[in-house]
Amino acid sequence: MEAVVYTCLGLMLVFGILAVMLHSMLKSAIALAAASAALGVIMYELGAIWAAIFEVSVCSGLVTVIFISAISLSNTDKKDLPKLYEDGKRMAFLPLVLIISGILLIVVAISSVSSLPVPTPVAEVADNFREILWNHRQADIWGQIIVLITGALAVAVLFKEGELP
Amino acid sequence: MSEQIFESAILITGFLLIISGCYCLIRTYHMIKIIIGIEVAMKAVSMFIILSGYISGNEDLAQTFVITSIVIEVVVAVVAAGIAINLYRKYGSMDIRNLTKLKG
Amino acid sequence: MRVIANIQMVANIAVLFFVIPLAIIAVNTLLPKKLAGRVSFYLGGFAGIMQAAAAAADFFLLSANRLHEYEFSLLWDLSIEGSERFSVDSLSLVMLFCIGMVTIVSVLVAKQTVHDRKRAYVNLLMTLILGMNGMVLVTDLFSLYVFLEVVGLSSFILIAMFKTDTGLEGAFKYLVMSVMATVFMLTGLAFIFMQTGSLQYKHVGMNVLRFQSHSQSVLIYAALILLISGFAIKTGAVPFHSWLPDAHQSANTAISILLSGIVIKVAGIYGFIVLVDLFNEVPAINMTVAVIGTVSIITGALLAMQQNHFKRIVAYSSVSQVGYILLGISTGSTLGLLGTVVHIFNHATFKSALFSNAAALHEQVGSLDINEMGGLEKRMPVTAFSSVTAFLSTTGIPPFAGFWSKLLIIMALWKSNMQVFAGIALVASIFTAAYFLRIQKKVFFGKLPDKYENLTEVKGTVKFAEIMLSVVTILTGVFFPLALLYLKGRGII
Repeated sequence: MEAVVYTCLGLMLVFGILAVMLHSMLKSAIALAAASAALGVIMYELGAIWAAIFEVSVCSGLVTVIFISAISLSNTDKKDLPKLYEDGKRMAFLPLVLIISGILLIVVAISSVSSLPVPTPVAEVADNFREILWNHRQADIWGQIIVLITGALAVAVLFKEGELP
Repeated sequence: MSEQIFESAILITGFLLIISGCYCLIRTYHMIKIIIGIEVAMKAVSMFIILSGYISGNEDLAQTFVITSIVIEVVVAVVAAGIAINLYRKYGSMDIRNLTKLKG
Repeated sequence: MRVIANIQMVANIAVLFFVIPLAIIAVNTLLPKKLAGRVSFYLGGFAGIMQAAAAAADFFLLSANRLHEYEFSLLWDLSIEGSERFSVDSLSLVMLFCIGMVTIVSVLVAKQTVHDRKRAYVNLLMTLILGMNGMVLVTDLFSLYVFLEVVGLSSFILIAMFKTDTGLEGAFKYLVMSVMATVFMLTGLAFIFMQTGSLQYKHVGMNVLRFQSHSQSVLIYAALILLISGFAIKTGAVPFHSWLPDAHQSANTAISILLSGIVIKVAGIYGFIVLVDLFNEVPAINMTVAVIGTVSIITGALLAMQQNHFKRIVAYSSVSQVGYILLGISTGSTLGLLGTVVHIFNHATFKSALFSNAAALHEQVGSLDINEMGGLEKRMPVTAFSSVTAFLSTTGIPPFAGFWSKLLIIMALWKSNMQVFAGIALVASIFTAAYFLRIQKKVFFGKLPDKYENLTEVKGTVKFAEIMLSVVTILTGVFFPLALLYLKGRGII
């Protein structure tokens, strides 16, 4: 299990950085979807099966669709992108920042790794997830319903074609 | 001990992803890229929540949190894309350097 | 027997805080388009009035039964072990009342400033109210975050919905800052969750004492820093204030009233109240909140002095006034909390009044640049009067409402051995007076430019809102000592 998680962590980091660094928006969106898929595998390995399903289907599926439709609505010539947005210059220091903060974080981790809490094993209860979602988190469910209503209103208001003032 | 190294690895990866996302948010000029930076940081946050559930033995509670936050994330992405597209229709580009009407 | 019936009533009324906005969204969406254009505003106003009435009724029922809080649910079984619950207490009821009041003012102003997309405006207003009501009623940090996102999303759409250049720009900036707040907050929540295994207020508060070992307290401190930054962004406190004047200036005035009058308080300040309450064992949190508050008071006032746009000045004034509210929270005492709550109410009143003035000026003068105005007092006496009362209340001149709340906050600071902050809060009132005197002088006093010779006073609902808010400000100020006596008699203080 650990080997799979370590591999996926590496993949997620690489794809995440690619999503941020790539010039082409389309490639960025695809890299984001790949990072999302890697996260799905990590979630599955950590025992969060439902969250993994959601992550893969919604985040790497639906969100990518949203991005691609937004990108296709705003077609800038691909060749102009690097020149227009100077991403190469603006993002040039990111690898350096990441390496420095990575070293710092590893130093912190080494000095305090033994004091991190040890995982508590949980007793497996059938359908425990469903029970928690429906019996314990009702306020969240109401919140989700209201978020979805807001989302529907957003689509109706913001994506409506028409004269701009 | 190996469990704790495993947890630290996840924490470090998550922090690096959050740094990349926030760096992108601050430095890039492209609106869609800003939203992608947001998403990258949110991925790391979902991972933190699942890790917390794994450590404290509440995987199922953590799952409900993550599912709720994914739903919210999608709606945020829709709203952000909607605003970006309207700005594109106004200015003909996704460049945030056009946004200079509000100053002071 | 009678008492028990009353307690059941509390829950029955509290359910209305969710049912009314949801019902209005349903009705408003299903109405035929032509009819909706005519009745949408009445539906919105109805929601505001019902909300204020329900909050007031619940407040009196609760204090008549001498209860501090009452738990209720929305269509679920409270007897299940570990289930979430909504809870009303005096603090949340005051917040709910303020939400209702500001909603009424917003709808009154919208009647004259919102000309198209009336239906969408009312629908989004309702989701905004739902989000704010949820935030003050939940008893779980994660649910607080969920409803916070509802508030945030509704605000972005409300700012952007008229698709003006400035509106879209302000909304985008607000969205980017807000998402950073989300990332900070969720990371903080994850760390707390790692330690406690639950995010319900009672579990978090109970478990804080357990963090003995060094690394665990490091994680908790990291979580606290992240949560405080997140809520500070949502409040628009310095140094995270950059989005606030942009968003509040660019939105339609009816929406600025909501954002400045209530959204920053529910989304940000209420989060701070919860944090200080849950982590009162950690002494550093009070000092941090106090420092953020002081810096906000001074920076907000200094920046307000340099602006030339009426709404922008009022928005920076919000940054400054929020600082006073944060100082009140930082004391952690009941007196400080009372001062905070009263200042939240007062700020909601006078900020709504000032934005109604902005709407009136925008309707009549057509511009909000204060350099172009002057001497409008003669042509717009009601607006001038309401602006002066709001300004006196903001500055804290007795006997206006703002005086009492600032007095309570400064007294609480003094009693909690934070005399330095009390001194700064007192001195900073002079800055408040300075920028408001400038605005009054440039807009309402002096010589009337020739082009405004034929200007008339604003009519209709905006005028009504201005008069209503002036009356509320004055009456609150005059009758506040009585209110204190009542609260003391009921054992709330």
